[in-house]
Amino acid sequence: MPFFGNLLKFLGIRKGEANILVVGLDNSGKTTILNAFKSPENKSEEIVPTVGFNVEKFKMDKISFTAFDMSGQGRYRNLWEHYYKNIQGIIFVIDSSDSLRLVVAKEELDLMLKSEEIESKPNIPVLIFANKMDLVESMSSVKISQGLGLASMKNRPWHIQASNALTGEGLHEGIQWLSEQLLQQNK
Amino acid sequence: MKMYQKREKKDDEDAAGSNPFSKLQKTAVLQEARVFNETPVNARKCALILTKILYLINQGETLSTQEATDAFFNMTKLFQSKDTTLRRLVYIGIKELSKLAENVYVVTSSLTTDMNAKEDQCRPSAIRTLTTITDVTTFQGIERYMKQAIVDKNAAVASAALVSSLHMAKLIPDGIKRWVNEAQEAVNSDNVMVQHHALGLLYHIRKSDRLAVSKLVTKYIRSGLKSPYAVCMLIRIASKLIEDEDSGTDSPYFDFIDSCLRHKLEMVVYEAANAIVNLKCTSQRELTPAVSVLQLFLSSPKPTLRFAAVRTLNKVAMTHPNAVTACNVDLENLITDANRSIATLAITTLLKTGSESSVERLMKQISSFMSEISDEFKIVVVGATRQLCQKFPRKHNVMMVFLSNMLREEGGYEYKKSIVDTIINIIDDNPEAKEAGLAYLCEFIEDCEHVGLAVRILHLLGKEGPRTSRPSKYIRFIYNRLILENAPIRAAAVSSLAKFGAHCEDLLHNILVLLERSCLDTDDEVRDRATYYLNVLKLRQKSLHNQCILNPLQVSLVGLEKALQQYILEPSVTPFDMKSVPLATQVDKVEERPKKPMVNGLTNEALPNQVSKAPAEKIAATRQDIYAEQLAAIPEFVALKLGPILKSSLPIELTESETEYVVQCVKHIFKRHIVLQFDCTNTLNDQILENVRVSMQVPDGFEEVCTIVCPRLNYNIPAPTYTCLEIVNDDTSMITGTCENILLKYIVKDCDPNTGQLLDEDGYDDEYALEDVDILVADYMQRILKPNFGTAWEEIDSEHEVEETYALSSFKAIDEAIKNVIGFMGMQPCERSEKVPEGKSSHTLYLAGVFRGTDEVLVRAKLAVNTSNFESGVTMKMSVRCRNPEVATFIALKRDYKEITNNPIPNIYAKPLDNNILEWHFAMRGAQQTPYENGLYHGRIEFPVDFPFKPPSFYMLTPNGRFKCNTKICLNTSNYHPEAWNPSWSVASLLIGLYSFMNDDEPTWGSLRSSKEERMQLALMSWAYNLQDPIFVSLFPELAQECKRKISMICSSKMIKT
Repeated sequence: MPFFGNLLKFLGIRKGEANILVVGLDNSGKTTILNAFKSPENKSEEIVPTVGFNVEKFKMDKISFTAFDMSGQGRYRNLWEHYYKNIQGIIFVIDSSDSLRLVVAKEELDLMLKSEEIESKPNIPVLIFANKMDLVESMSSVKISQGLGLASMKNRPWHIQASNALTGEGLHEGIQWLSEQLLQQNK
Repeated sequence: MKMYQKREKKDDEDAAGSNPFSKLQKTAVLQEARVFNETPVNARKCALILTKILYLINQGETLSTQEATDAFFNMTKLFQSKDTTLRRLVYIGIKELSKLAENVYVVTSSLTTDMNAKEDQCRPSAIRTLTTITDVTTFQGIERYMKQAIVDKNAAVASAALVSSLHMAKLIPDGIKRWVNEAQEAVNSDNVMVQHHALGLLYHIRKSDRLAVSKLVTKYIRSGLKSPYAVCMLIRIASKLIEDEDSGTDSPYFDFIDSCLRHKLEMVVYEAANAIVNLKCTSQRELTPAVSVLQLFLSSPKPTLRFAAVRTLNKVAMTHPNAVTACNVDLENLITDANRSIATLAITTLLKTGSESSVERLMKQISSFMSEISDEFKIVVVGATRQLCQKFPRKHNVMMVFLSNMLREEGGYEYKKSIVDTIINIIDDNPEAKEAGLAYLCEFIEDCEHVGLAVRILHLLGKEGPRTSRPSKYIRFIYNRLILENAPIRAAAVSSLAKFGAHCEDLLHNILVLLERSCLDTDDEVRDRATYYLNVLKLRQKSLHNQCILNPLQVSLVGLEKALQQYILEPSVTPFDMKSVPLATQVDKVEERPKKPMVNGLTNEALPNQVSKAPAEKIAATRQDIYAEQLAAIPEFVALKLGPILKSSLPIELTESETEYVVQCVKHIFKRHIVLQFDCTNTLNDQILENVRVSMQVPDGFEEVCTIVCPRLNYNIPAPTYTCLEIVNDDTSMITGTCENILLKYIVKDCDPNTGQLLDEDGYDDEYALEDVDILVADYMQRILKPNFGTAWEEIDSEHEVEETYALSSFKAIDEAIKNVIGFMGMQPCERSEKVPEGKSSHTLYLAGVFRGTDEVLVRAKLAVNTSNFESGVTMKMSVRCRNPEVATFIALKRDYKEITNNPIPNIYAKPLDNNILEWHFAMRGAQQTPYENGLYHGRIEFPVDFPFKPPSFYMLTPNGRFKCNTKICLNTSNYHPEAWNPSWSVASLLIGLYSFMNDDEPTWGSLRSSKEERMQLALMSWAYNLQDPIFVSLFPELAQECKRKISMICSSKMIKT
């Protein structure tokens, strides 16, 4: 049975379902992004800092996503690794206005990608949301991709997408890329 | 998949008829838990695995932190499934693993999402789960949601939130306090459960503030609560408040509880009745309605109600047996109740309240179903039997047979222990039951699996057996233990045998043979004991037997250790002196009463710097050691070289309990010094006392050497100040006295009641008068226990014996007299002689003590109730043996004075002069139906310095017609005939002798012959004569007043005649 299960896991998405991990530093807008995907009647009115994690489900582009929305606060980041197993995609959210902590974000991203579970699966796509693009002091997505050193990530599909979670701008485009990647792998 | 299904099928087959989980392996199950990571979640499969994990944990399987954490994080993946059953299992899993795994707070957000979900199904469980994983760091994140949940419309959610808050209050008490408004709102809920839980939370939040609690109770008493559960809780809070405030039955809270007796629901009525009977302050009158309610419940068709009522009545029967007797008829009906628990309680209640005649019938009834009830109830029965024995000592036969039957049956350790305890208790209380009791215990140890009990019984046999009528019959049982049992029991048996050998000459030879055999034992301890006893017994010296076997060492173990350590540190040529070791304090259960709670609800334990007496018995043994340590820390006392404490008295209250300052005094007696420790407590929160010290008028024979000032006395923190007195006079007769005019002196400074900050730098001097402190004979006397008093008594020569006879006229019964004599002497009763068998008119009391740390004093007092004389009371003939005759004499004279002033002989008054204890003055009223009938006669006694070895002399001062004035009167007892003098006569008996001699007409030296009329005339004149004597007026002011009244009466009656 385990063998059979693993085989399924390797096949990735089954019946158009995908598990994705949503990570990033605290206050970058992970929960808000996921909230934007929910149907209007299910939307939360106010977003509070996540303690631990939340599970959210949403459907987009023929794929049902199960998103593990991880808490970004420093003391909870080491818990991310418990959820690396059995995921098909990663969404990494950056607060574009927080240039000061871009290095911290880079460190966390690198740490995650170097972990055994993720590194061994180069087909897991990474979608980076350069969130809060509406703010005046926000950096451009190019600048952020430079800051994160994304250019050096050659063996893994990645995409950076400027977004505004409050208005929903850029979110759909980002997910669209992710869906394409996942469907492609499934072929 | 196919493989899996197949296996599952096989599992199912296995499971048919047996536990499907019986062969689970921890590692295999944890491996399976990886399935949780799969997407999509197979709810049924995961539920099964989760159940397996829970099963394992509940079977006591231990998971390492790593294993638990892995399983926990795997489980968190299941949050993606919307399956309700699985979700609930996940909650249970989180609760179970939350104590084992790390980082469990990771599910906080998931759970808060669940508790705010739209569907109500999972919300209460989510709240309960959330509280198990919340700690101080995550508390703030959930606070808002909890507050919302408390006031949620859904009752289940609100209740869950309230109860969870109570649980969290243990961890985060301050956080929960912020929810008081929500809790208050929830009390107004229409739901019965929510109201109950909300009241519970509200009370918990306020419980440390008594004022707030009383406001709370008053508010809800007035507004009324809908929920019966909440009313029950209110009753409990109210009754606790009554106890705390000591307000008694007049308080409005009591009226409320009383009114609940008429509530329409049985539950509330029961709660109210239970509260009333458990209150300490209730009297018979308040109790009656509560008991009659319970009586009504006794005949209820509901077994729970019957059980509750009979259980409560059982408890009440201890404190208010009379109140329960009213229910006897109903209780009788319950004896045959189908529910055994109810029947047992009914019988034991009846046993507590029943009369002597019904005992046998009830015992028979209860033994008929003894085998059907659980151990727990059997212990209740045994407890009832014990009480019964105390109440009806004559029934000990029935009880003993009953107990021994129970002892033969199967039962756990607690049960057997309670039976053995009871039998030993009966033996203690009732000498008649001794032999039978010992026989039953002997039978019991023949087949006893509990080592502790067997050792205890062997010890008892060693103590009691030798003094029974036929000691030899116990030897067989003890020797059997020596052959059959394990080492600890064998060792105890050897000690026990040795006691028989030491006590009974005729058995000694046989015992020596038995001990010799034990010298070959395989166990070291047994061999050691046997060799030791064998060598001691072989010498056949009675005194050695006493010292080494019958009356063992009695030193404080802590003191011995310290003394030995000291001895090793300072090398010296002199051998170690056992006398320098402080004696073990005998724990006196009578005097060691539980301390009253301190003012303002603060208990002693909460206060530093004072000896906590919470577990009274445990501490009492080392109380003196604690004092010793405290005193040794004071440099002034070290400089005085006080030596070890001989005795520390129990604290004496020098103030009323509810005054501004509370002062207790402890007297520490040293070889040549007395340290008075004054523990002062300041109960005014707006004052700080500084430079606190005590001044006093020191009695003769003492000198104040130093005072240790207490620099600062803060609110409610007791602190000691000390005064050290030196005993300057070596004369033993001068070592007692009264410290008078004791004043507590201090500087008062005002301070802020809340912060304790000083408001006034200078302050002013003030003082506070305290009660006098007596330094008594008892203070110098240390209690020691002589397990074998008779042999110890024989050891001291009879020539050192002083005998005294006393009339203790103020006591009607022997036991009362004994209690007072023991208290006065401060000595240890031996051989359980302080217990008087019922119905005896005479009794012998044995007391042992050590006086001033050196002189061993033994007292044998024979007491008898005076029945022949017209005066009632107890007569005591006391023999004192002590190697130091001075001590014996001292005790005699000193106590005499005490005895006469405390327990006046009717018609005779006596007092020593203030400046000369050897000259006493007495006044006696003329006896009825004699010529002296209307007179009051004043006289004088002169004691020789070596009293009581030489007789005193008597002088009559008032003209009387029988004796010459101011002339030595010749009595057998007076010093006119020193050869006929007997030292055992006390002042009291001498005065009684003089009194009766006066009424005779027998001529003697110093007597007068005058007519009856003459004597009557003199009697009438005696009142005026006495008033002229300044000594008489100053010593007997009350009598002087009476003289004045009498004179005016005599004058007026004369006027009428003429």
